[in-house]
Amino acid sequence: MSAGQETPIKEMPTETGLSAETQTTQVEHEGGGPHISLKAEPIFHIGSFAVTNSLILATLILVLFSSIAIFARKKIKIIPGKLQNVFEFFLEFILDMMDSVLGDRRKSEKYLPLIATIFIFVMFSNWFGLLPGVGSIMFYGEETAPLLRAPSADLNFTLALAVVTVLTVNLLGAFAIGAFRYAGKFLNFSNPINFFVGIIELVSEGARMISFSFRLFGNIFAGEVLLAIVGFLAPYLVPLPFLFLEVFVGAIQALIFSMLALVFVAIAITDHHGPEDAKHEPAH
Amino acid sequence: MSDLIHQLGIDWRLFLSQAANFLLLLVVLRIFAYKPILRILEERRKKIQEGLAKAEEADQKLAEVNVIAVHKMKEADQKALDMLRQTEIKAKEFEAELLLQAKQKEAELLKNAEMIIAGKAEEAREEIHKNAVSFVKSVLVKTVEMDPKAIDEKLIAEAAKKKLS
Repeated sequence: MSAGQETPIKEMPTETGLSAETQTTQVEHEGGGPHISLKAEPIFHIGSFAVTNSLILATLILVLFSSIAIFARKKIKIIPGKLQNVFEFFLEFILDMMDSVLGDRRKSEKYLPLIATIFIFVMFSNWFGLLPGVGSIMFYGEETAPLLRAPSADLNFTLALAVVTVLTVNLLGAFAIGAFRYAGKFLNFSNPINFFVGIIELVSEGARMISFSFRLFGNIFAGEVLLAIVGFLAPYLVPLPFLFLEVFVGAIQALIFSMLALVFVAIAITDHHGPEDAKHEPAH
Repeated sequence: MSDLIHQLGIDWRLFLSQAANFLLLLVVLRIFAYKPILRILEERRKKIQEGLAKAEEADQKLAEVNVIAVHKMKEADQKALDMLRQTEIKAKEFEAELLLQAKQKEAELLKNAEMIIAGKAEEAREEIHKNAVSFVKSVLVKTVEMDPKAIDEKLIAEAAKKKLS
């Protein structure tokens, strides 16, 4: 694609030889323009399962962080080293943030794994997309596509994260205040208004998943497109501020995702019934 | 709808793979990172609390020990003063006793000296007496040599006694 051309996501003439779906989501420039694709591209297949470039990078991030955690496990000491210090600082930051929402350190520690993992996974998924080589090293297979792609720029990743988060939040809520009481939030037959509110609550859970996933995907994908276009138009120095901006956006989006998850957890584990009902509740 | 899903690249297998990735990372980090770190943080917090409590306890004990030390010092000072006073009294008593003993000894020594002097004087007197007798004898002998039979020995002795006394 050269400067001044139409938006890359558009119908392409059938003579290109690509399938109709691919044509609408992918514009590939034979003249050396930026490669922009709405969906992640398959790199190889395991049976009928197409392993995409975003899945490869997500798996690499998983392996990297799992390895660090497993190897660093034995080095955790009461007097911390440099790496432990950094990780402790990060955890304290997350815990302080959670304390401000949950108001209790024990609750914060209980829900820390979910919130911290969301933050780490999303932030590094965003940042890894900015690394040199990601998006620029091409794989020449059945399609010419980048070998690696930021996982957050794939809707499957953001949707999976959103669905897992919303389901986990609901499960935590059910564990915290009791399954029946929690279900009563959605299925309330006490009066028509409450029933209607319950239905709205149910719909809002679905809306949360969509808003979670599309917010993250939109921001990161837009950033990638922006960087690709700026890099194509002015490859030297000019993309630098945009890169810094994307580093910032990556961190902010991770913070937003994890903070929203935290707020939803806080709402889910709080019993919204009256104080008379709350007296009969077991302590959690 | 399915066309939109396809356009967006949503695939249930990719979706499940990404969800599995996230859940796997969650489990791994929970086991190998969060739990040990939280345990260490808790352990460190407890140790710091214990340390602070012990430091506070030590401060309290130190203050108590200081109070005890001050009290003991006062007691020791008082005891020392008492001991000094008693020692002074005893010393005075001892001094008086010593003076008395010295006076007694002095008197005894004087007595002894007088006795010795008296003895010596007696001895001297006896010696003189002897010497006088022998002198008188020798005088008498000399006299007798001149006319021994004429000299009355008894008279000579009386004369000698008178001379000596």
